[in-house]
Amino acid sequence: MLVEFELIQRAQQGDASAFNQIVSTYRRRILGTISRLIGRPEDVEDVAQEVFMRLYFSLEQLRTPEVFEPWLYRLTVNACYDYLRKSKRRLESRMADLSEQQVMMADAVAGSKVQSDDAEKRRVRDTVNSLLASVSEEDRILLTMKEVEGLSLKELEKIYGVNENALKVRLFRARQRVLKNMKGVTPRPPASAKSGEVE
Amino acid sequence: MENEDRNAELSEWLLAYRTACPEPEASVNFMPEMWAKIEARQVSTNLFGRMAKALVTAALAATVILGMMVSRASHQTESTFNGTYLEALSADHASTLEPLSLDRISELEQQ
Repeated sequence: MLVEFELIQRAQQGDASAFNQIVSTYRRRILGTISRLIGRPEDVEDVAQEVFMRLYFSLEQLRTPEVFEPWLYRLTVNACYDYLRKSKRRLESRMADLSEQQVMMADAVAGSKVQSDDAEKRRVRDTVNSLLASVSEEDRILLTMKEVEGLSLKELEKIYGVNENALKVRLFRARQRVLKNMKGVTPRPPASAKSGEVE
Repeated sequence: MENEDRNAELSEWLLAYRTACPEPEASVNFMPEMWAKIEARQVSTNLFGRMAKALVTAALAATVILGMMVSRASHQTESTFNGTYLEALSADHASTLEPLSLDRISELEQQ
């Protein structure tokens, strides 16, 4: 855990500076997770503020320190789920634009080396976003938490409150649904885009 | 075999996605905006709480008033019928509602 339980207890008693410290500590991580879960950079801050607002109002229910992080992740997942459900139409329309975007990406790749790297990353983002937009919000979030965020099944168990076997089944089905929509979409991802290390 | 390939390809895409996504930085307004949202929620929660309390009070008052009205009405009913059921029927001239019998026809003729 990134913060002491004593800090959480102070925040529970209404200490605003303690709550600010908690937010500052987890803000970057939560912003990154939300960014990858929703795939819309312009709305990441709004969703993150919603997450911390929900944390503020539910903090007094927290009794043990070990559940703090899974709880924060659960709030994040729920806020992203709500966001995705509200903006489902927008995501669908983005998916329809994919072929045009891919053409634009192909043009961009012809530019300089830096531009090329950026274009490749953008191609990866757009492709994965479009693949994940083709399945339900639940599938998208579960797959992202497992495969992109790199959370273990044990961690997901705490977040979702279901056992490991049920999670495995859900993950398998989610993958199958994405694979079904993957046919003929794209070539393999560029090697440079997957060279970074996962935290 | 083909399915395994596609599975592996999907894993590669998802792994590449993490590094392809820029790490977002919070703007300077992040904390003030967050606190503004918290305060706005607190105000609406308090307003809702006050409305709920007012509604509960009104419901309680209505219950007491209705209870008093019902109790008064039942008290009045009790004072009207102190006798037995048969006495109450005769007091109500229920016989006039009975079907006509031959005896009663002769009574009517005599009248």
